[in-house]
Amino acid sequence: MATPGTFISTAGHIGLIGWLIVGWGMNAEPLRIETMDVSVISGEEFDQMRAARTPVPGANPPDAPVIPAINPAPPEAPAPEPPSEVAPVPEPVTPPESETPPPPPPQPVETDVADDLPATPVTPEAPPPLPDLPQSDTPTPPRAPTVASQITAPPPPDATVDDVVRDAVVPDETSSADVRADEQEATAPEETTTQIVIDDLAPSTSVRPMTRPNRPTPPRENATAVAETPDPDPAPVADDVAAALEQALETTQPSAPAVPAGPPMTGAERDSFRIAVNRCWNVDPGSVAARVTVEVGFSLERDGTVRGGDVRLLSSDGDASATQTAFEAARRAILRCQSGGYDLPAEKYDQWQDVVITFDPSGMRLR
Amino acid sequence: MMKRFLSVLLALMLAGPVLAQGGPLRLTITDGVIEPITFAAPRFEVETPGAEGVASDISRLVVQDLAGTGLFREVPSTAFISQITSFAQPVAFADWRAINAQALIVGAVAVSGEQMTVKFRLYDVFSGQELGQGLQFAGTTSGWRRVAHKVADAVYSRITGEGGYFDSRVVFVAESGPKDNRQKRLAIMDYDGANVQFLTDSSSIVLAPRFSPNGDRVLYTSFESGFPRINVLNVATVGRQQLATAPGEMAFSPRFSRDGQSVIYSLSNGGNTDIYRTDLNTGQHLRLTSAPSIETAPSLSPDGSQIVFESDRSGTQQLYVMSANGGEARRISFGPGRYGTPVWSPRGDLVAFTKQNAGRFHIGVMRLDGSEERLLTSSFLDEGPTWSPNGRVIMFSRETQGATGASSIYSVDISGRNLRAVPLQGGASDPSWGPLQP
Repeated sequence: MATPGTFISTAGHIGLIGWLIVGWGMNAEPLRIETMDVSVISGEEFDQMRAARTPVPGANPPDAPVIPAINPAPPEAPAPEPPSEVAPVPEPVTPPESETPPPPPPQPVETDVADDLPATPVTPEAPPPLPDLPQSDTPTPPRAPTVASQITAPPPPDATVDDVVRDAVVPDETSSADVRADEQEATAPEETTTQIVIDDLAPSTSVRPMTRPNRPTPPRENATAVAETPDPDPAPVADDVAAALEQALETTQPSAPAVPAGPPMTGAERDSFRIAVNRCWNVDPGSVAARVTVEVGFSLERDGTVRGGDVRLLSSDGDASATQTAFEAARRAILRCQSGGYDLPAEKYDQWQDVVITFDPSGMRLR
Repeated sequence: MMKRFLSVLLALMLAGPVLAQGGPLRLTITDGVIEPITFAAPRFEVETPGAEGVASDISRLVVQDLAGTGLFREVPSTAFISQITSFAQPVAFADWRAINAQALIVGAVAVSGEQMTVKFRLYDVFSGQELGQGLQFAGTTSGWRRVAHKVADAVYSRITGEGGYFDSRVVFVAESGPKDNRQKRLAIMDYDGANVQFLTDSSSIVLAPRFSPNGDRVLYTSFESGFPRINVLNVATVGRQQLATAPGEMAFSPRFSRDGQSVIYSLSNGGNTDIYRTDLNTGQHLRLTSAPSIETAPSLSPDGSQIVFESDRSGTQQLYVMSANGGEARRISFGPGRYGTPVWSPRGDLVAFTKQNAGRFHIGVMRLDGSEERLLTSSFLDEGPTWSPNGRVIMFSRETQGATGASSIYSVDISGRNLRAVPLQGGASDPSWGPLQP
């Protein structure tokens, strides 16, 4: 009759032997010695173990095999790859830095899609030239043209460069003839500095990130040709994305009217605006007007105030009297809560300068 | 497969913002706030010497009318930044916006002997526009209350889009004495309890007065002969006329038809109670129900085509609707308890009723199909609802418990808010709200 102690002992020994055979967590050197002594592994296994002896076996994290799944390695590649070859595997997924520079902060990804509908996510080969920006009012920081052993102050503006410092002498008619000196030009040594000031190389004004230029929308046949520059592997993925984008946008944006420039309003920004009007929309649930939905339109100034205080009734589903009451309540809400102007993102003015709000009291009716 | 899924997912994510663009920013607002509309009503300008008192009275009553609805809230004069010194002066809207007055009422009063003229303008402060046009009322100084009610009605109507109810009267039963020997007589008052006048003496019991559609007559049930009889009383002359009934019949619970030319009422004969219609001009009777059960408390729809009434034909007292000419009736109340005294709303969309359930009485409303039942009040005894002319407020009588319990008249908004007692001297019950006065 086997006792629990026997089972535990047997299981422990089997586990220990298995652990020793597999060699999990063991150093390569003692593992190889023990394996040879026991002679349990085959010769091929032994060769593979020897080939993998230089790098520590099991050094790759468990996630490492997942990466080739995204971009499978060529089947010819030997299983035990040197670390130098394993490391670059993710690189094809992440294009080189020069190919896809990070977008400038003011332009989120959504803007890129909104601006243009490229067939492939290809960036321009060269950045557009910087525009001629106006100079800032701050004077250009001094940068000495010559590097010397000591710092020399810049010469006076009208001084001639010379090794000797001389003051300018101008004939003074009021002075006496005894003290009158000869007329001479002012001289001063050239301005020098002891080190190159890197900061001086920075532009004096910051350049506002340019909007991405309109890119031509080449036909899809050309897209593969353009995409051949980087690693060929990402191309099919980019193709799929581009095709799906193209298809989605073709079906959802039929002959879109003038699309407002600038990034779109986020959900939080829209909710914030909606709540700002909500709290001034006074609904009388017992009134007939509480059964009328009105749609009103208005324009906003850049400071968020209603332009001219003009709120227009666009549509309604009630009779004239109830519509008028419902419209006046909506107008009061918009005008009363604007205060000094609605708090809206200034950089997205194009998105919110014209507003249409539907006031639907159906959820507030008496029940 | 995975790549295609990811690409489609990415496409949808990127296409979303694109769809949101184009044209104006569109929002939908479904939740607002429920709070009174703030208004400022500076004292009406005194245009002639001697008008100070009446100008103050009218200003005060206009504010009282509006604030009493629960839909408006006055901005106190102590908060005013600027004053209205002239009816014709331009309004400094910024000063009124600063104190969050959404509406501004500007008025003026001129008195000449017993005659006076009252004019007013109403402004929407935040839009800087006048709501409607200025109005002017002429009357006698003794009738200043009606003029003030007229001004308040106009303001109410312009802001809410619905008719007012301030310049209206209520006929009711005035009560006095202990409960076991209560004296009852017909009385009439302004909607706010002012100007009470008695129409009958207390020599006999009177019940359930009902105004005619234009307010010139009152129907009521009198026990003068020992049996309940229906009388028609002319409000101006206090002259009375009794509706003809056969000996042994008991007539009660009358109401005028919408044209005021006929009366629908209950007639009890031989233990059975049914609903009848009688033409006041010809005296012709028409029996509208013939069930062996008790049918009573008929009330006509605003268009006069249907009648809602109570009946116990199902075993309990419930509400039914039938054609104004009789015929099949459909039951509309199905909740627990007993339903009675239905009254059709002037708007036509609701029925007010008295409900008794679990030892409590309630005033409630429901739609004509029985849906959206809402109980507005609850007490030891609430009964006899009557609608304001605009269908916005319900008045009813409430009786307190015990031997010393007294009846009084209350009003409540159909939202269930703004429950308040009508200030009256003595007891009062059975109110019937008349129309707006011309």
